[in-house]
Amino acid sequence: MTHLLAAIGLPYIPGWDELRPFAADLWLIVTIVAVLITPFFITRSNIACALVALAGVTLAFLSQLLVRNSPHVIGEHFRGLLVMDQFAMLWKLLLLLFVAGVILMWFTTTASNMHEGDGPEFFALLLSATLGMSLMASTSNLLMLVLSVEMASLPSYVLAGFRKTHRIGAEASLKYVLFGAVTSAVMIYGLSFLYGLYGTLQVGAIGHAMAAGAIGVGGNALLAVALLGLIVGIGFKVSAVPFHFWCPDVFEGASIEVTTFLSVASKGAALVLLIRVLTTIAAGLGFAPHAGMSLAALAGVIGVMGAVTCTVGNLGALVQTNIKRLLAYSSIAHAGYMLCAVSLLVRHKATIVGEDGNSIAAQAILLYLAVYLFMNLGAFTVAALIYRQTGSEDITHYAGLSRRSPLAAACMTVFMFSLIGLPPFAGFVAKFNLMWVLGTNGGWWWALVAVIGLNTIFSLYYYVRVVKIMYLTPSDAPALNVNPLGLGLAVACAAALVLLFIGLAPLSRVTTNYGKLYLTSQTQQQPAQSTAMITGERR
Amino acid sequence: MTAALLLLILVPAIGAAACALLPKQGAAARTWAFAVSVIDLLLGVCLSAQFDWKTGTELTWFGSSFYIENLQFGLKLGCDSISLWLVLLTVLLTPLAILASFASIKDRQKEYYAWMLALLAAMNGVFVARDLLLFYIFFELTLIPMFFIIGIWGGPERRYAAGKFFLFTFAGSVFTLAGIIYIGLMAPRGFDLNAAVQFVQHNPEMARARFWLLLAFLAGFAVKVPLFPVHTWLPLAHTEAPTAGSVILAGVLLKLGTYGLLKLALPIASPDAIGLFAPYIGTLCVIGVIYGALVAWVQQDIKKLVAYSSVSHLGFCVLGLFALNTIGVQGSVLYMINHGLSTGAMFLVVGMIYERYHTRDINRLSGLARVMPKLAFFFILFTLSSIGLPGTNGFVSEFLTILGAFTSTHLGVSYGAFAALGVILGAIYMLHMAARIIWGPLKTPDHDDSHGQGDAEPATQHGSELPTDIGAREVGILVPLALCVLILGVYPNVILNSIQKPAQAITQAINPPAQAVAEAR
Repeated sequence: MTHLLAAIGLPYIPGWDELRPFAADLWLIVTIVAVLITPFFITRSNIACALVALAGVTLAFLSQLLVRNSPHVIGEHFRGLLVMDQFAMLWKLLLLLFVAGVILMWFTTTASNMHEGDGPEFFALLLSATLGMSLMASTSNLLMLVLSVEMASLPSYVLAGFRKTHRIGAEASLKYVLFGAVTSAVMIYGLSFLYGLYGTLQVGAIGHAMAAGAIGVGGNALLAVALLGLIVGIGFKVSAVPFHFWCPDVFEGASIEVTTFLSVASKGAALVLLIRVLTTIAAGLGFAPHAGMSLAALAGVIGVMGAVTCTVGNLGALVQTNIKRLLAYSSIAHAGYMLCAVSLLVRHKATIVGEDGNSIAAQAILLYLAVYLFMNLGAFTVAALIYRQTGSEDITHYAGLSRRSPLAAACMTVFMFSLIGLPPFAGFVAKFNLMWVLGTNGGWWWALVAVIGLNTIFSLYYYVRVVKIMYLTPSDAPALNVNPLGLGLAVACAAALVLLFIGLAPLSRVTTNYGKLYLTSQTQQQPAQSTAMITGERR
Repeated sequence: MTAALLLLILVPAIGAAACALLPKQGAAARTWAFAVSVIDLLLGVCLSAQFDWKTGTELTWFGSSFYIENLQFGLKLGCDSISLWLVLLTVLLTPLAILASFASIKDRQKEYYAWMLALLAAMNGVFVARDLLLFYIFFELTLIPMFFIIGIWGGPERRYAAGKFFLFTFAGSVFTLAGIIYIGLMAPRGFDLNAAVQFVQHNPEMARARFWLLLAFLAGFAVKVPLFPVHTWLPLAHTEAPTAGSVILAGVLLKLGTYGLLKLALPIASPDAIGLFAPYIGTLCVIGVIYGALVAWVQQDIKKLVAYSSVSHLGFCVLGLFALNTIGVQGSVLYMINHGLSTGAMFLVVGMIYERYHTRDINRLSGLARVMPKLAFFFILFTLSSIGLPGTNGFVSEFLTILGAFTSTHLGVSYGAFAALGVILGAIYMLHMAARIIWGPLKTPDHDDSHGQGDAEPATQHGSELPTDIGAREVGILVPLALCVLILGVYPNVILNSIQKPAQAITQAINPPAQAVAEAR
C-alpha cells in the first residue's frame, strides 16, 4: 500500500530538480492562467490572448529545448507518476511546435470573426488540451494515464463545438462527447482490473508482476478485459477502426484550426501513450511471451487493428468531396500506418527495442508524426485559406486554383504528394522508414508492409484528385486574395517537407539520439517484492 | 572527376529551380531551359570521354557525407556502358524536345520548362543511381513532372490521361519499393545496388525470395515498359501529351522500365527464377508485339498509331532481354537506344505536322510531300528506321532480338517466328500511314475536296509564324536524330562492342558457362 500512497503523492512535495524536466508543462500552466486573466487588462482580448498563448507556447518550446538529457532528467519523477526520457522530450517539442502553428493558423482563419470575449476560453481550452497531450507522453502510472487522457479529451470536446452558432458544430461536439465518454468508461473499467490484479498503479511494476507469477485462468480473462479496455480507450483517441466513427463528423463540424489540432496532436498523443504503456509493460515482462498474457497476441491485435484502420480510412476517403472529411479519413489512414508500427513495440529484438530502450520503431513513429505534423498543418491551412475566400470546403471549388492562387496550389500539391508518400517529399521518408522498420522484424510483419503498400495505391486516387482539380480543371473563378500570413505558414510547411527529405541524413542522426525510451526494467524496483505484495493482497 | 555524374543530375535540378524564378513574360524560360539542357549534354559527353570504353570499368561517385548508417543508404552514383548510352540518349533527346516546344508551348512557359528540366534530372538519376533506394526515388521522381506536362499542356483528354498515367505507374512501383526494402534489409551492405545484386544472386537462402523479388520488380517495371496487359495507359498518355512530352515519354521514360528489368530484375532473379518466368514474359511480349501492331494498323490518329507501335516495339525489346542470352540482351539494349531515337523522332515529326494543320487524322491529311518536301524526307527516313529497314538503326536491333529469341534455351523458335510476324506487320502499318500522309493528292484540313485537288497553296494561315515547310530550327532538331539513325544503322558496333561485357556478365549469371557447370559437378 505504500506504493499506492506514493502514487497519489501524499505527503510529498516535489523539489526543483524534479520540476525542472517538466519546465515546458509548467510554462503551459502559467500560460493558461495568463490567458484567463488577460481580458482583465486588455479590451480587445481575442488577439491579445492569442499573442499571450503564442508567447507561452514559444517559451515552453524554448525551455523544453534547454532540457538536457542528463541522468537527472531521464527517469521517473514525482514518485513514479511521470517519466521523462528522450522520447517524451521529442514528442513535447513536436507538440509545442505544432500548437504554435495552430495558433498562427487561427490568426488567418477565425481571428476576424470570433466573437469578442471568446478568445480567453478558446485558448485556455486549447492549451489545457495541449498540457494533457504533453503529459500523455510521460505517463507511467495508471492514474496519471487516466488524468492526462481526460485532460486532453474534455477541452477537446468543448473545442469541437466551439462554433456555437453552427448546428453541425454542436452535433460534432455531442458525438465526440458520447463516444469519448463511453470509451473512457470502458478504459477506466479495464484499468481498474489491472489494479485489482496486481495491486499497483505503476505500469512498470505491473509488467514485473506479470513476469513474476501466473494469475490463473480467471485472472487471464480479467487481464484480457483490462488490456482490451486500454485498447478501446486509446483506439478512440487514435480513431482506430472500429472506434473511428466520430472522426469525420467531428472534423467536419469543428472549426478548421480545431480540426487541425485534433488530427495531429490528439492522435499523436494517443499513439505516444500507447507506445509508452506497451513498451513499459513489455520491458517489465522482459519482452517474453508470458503465461499471463501473450505479447504476441497483443501485437497481433494492434497490428490487425492498424491494417484494418488504414484500409478503412483510405477506402472511406475515396468518395469524399469535402476537404475536411477527406483529410479526416486520410488521418484515420495515417493513424493506421502508425498503429502497424506500434505492434512491433512489444518485441524485443536488439534492433527494435534495445536494452537501453533505444527503439527504432518508436523513432519511426516519431519521425512519421514529425512529418505528418507539417503535412496536415499545411494542408489544413491551405484549406482554411480557400474557405475564407470562397466559403466552400468542397474540393470541386478548387478548380483552377493553380491560376487563382499559384502559391497556395503549389503548397497543396506538395502536401498531397507528401501524404501519398512520394519522393522528393518527407512523406516518402516517413513511410519508407515505417515499412523498413516493419520489414526489419520479418515474419508476418511483411504482411503489414504489403498492406501499407496496397493502401498507398488506394490513397493515390483521392490525393491525386485534389491536385488534378487544382491544376488540370479550368475555371473562370476570380483570383483569390489569400491571407499572406496563412500563405507564409503553408509555404513554411511545404519547405519543411522538402528540407526534411533533403536533410534525410542529418535527420536520421537526430532521431537516433531521440526516441530513446526509458524502460522501467532499469528501475530499482524488485520484482520479487512486488510479487509478494500482490499475492498477499490477492488472498 | 567523376563528379560529372552528380552534376548530370544537379545541373538540371538547379536549372529547374532557377527556371521557376525567372520572370513570367518573354522567352527567357525557354532559352534558359535549352541552355541548361545543352550543358547537360556536354556533361554527358564529358562523362563518355572519361569512361574507359576498352575495359568498361564502372565510373563511381559516392557522397559519403550523405551516408545514413542505420539504413545503409547513401548517395552512390555510377555508370557502366549500358547506363552511359542511356544517359547519352536522355541528354540528347531532352534539348531537342525543348527546342521542339518553342513554337507549340505558349501557355505557362516558365512552369513547363521547369518541369522539363526536373524530368531531365530525374531520368539521369535513374540511370546513374547505384543505390537501390536512390534508384527508386529517381524512378518515382519522373512521375510528377510528367503528370503535369501531360495534364496541363496536353490534348483534349489530358486530365484523364495524366491521372491514368500516374495511377498505373505508381501502383506498380509500390511493389517494387517493397522488394527494394526487402533486399535492403537482407543484404549485408544494405541498399548498395551492385552488392545487393551479388548477394541475392549467389545466396542459396534467397532461392524463394528471388521468385517474389522478381514478381515485385516485374510489377513496377512491366507497367513502365509497358508489357501487354498493363499497357493501356500508354496510348492515351502518348497521344494526349504535348510533342515534347511524347518524345521524352517514348524516348526515355519507357526505357526506365526496360533498364530496371535489365539492371535489377534479371540479375536479382538469376539463375533460377528468371528462367521460370522467361516463357511467360516472352509470351506476353509476343502478344504485345502482334497486338500492338494490329491495333496500330487501324488507328486514324497518327500519334496514336506511333504510340501503339511503341507497344509493339517494346515487346521486341523485352523479348530480347528475356531470351536470356548475350545476343538478345545486346540487341535489347541497342533496341532501347534505337527506339528512343526513331520513335522520339517520329513524335517530333508528327508534332510538326500537327502544329501546322491542327489535326493528326490520317483521313484529313494527304500528299504532304507536295508542300513540305523537307519534312517528308525526314518522315520517310524515320518511318523506315521504325520499320527496321536494313541500313537504318532499327534493323540491327530488331534482328538481334529476334535472333536472341530463336537461339534462346528459354524461349525458342516459335517465339522468334511470331515476333518476326510483328516485323511484317510493322512494315504494313507504318507504310500504310506514310503512303497516305506523305504521298497521294494533297489534302489538308482547309484544302478539302471542294478546293480541288493538287492545290499547293501554303498553309501558313494556320500556324501563324510557322513556314509551310519545316524551318531551320526544326531541321536542326531532326538532323542529329537522322544522323544517329544512319550511323547506328551502318555501324551498330559502336554500341554493341561496348555493351558486350555487361551483357555477358548478366547472362553468365543465368546460364553459367559450360566449364563452370562441369566444375561444379
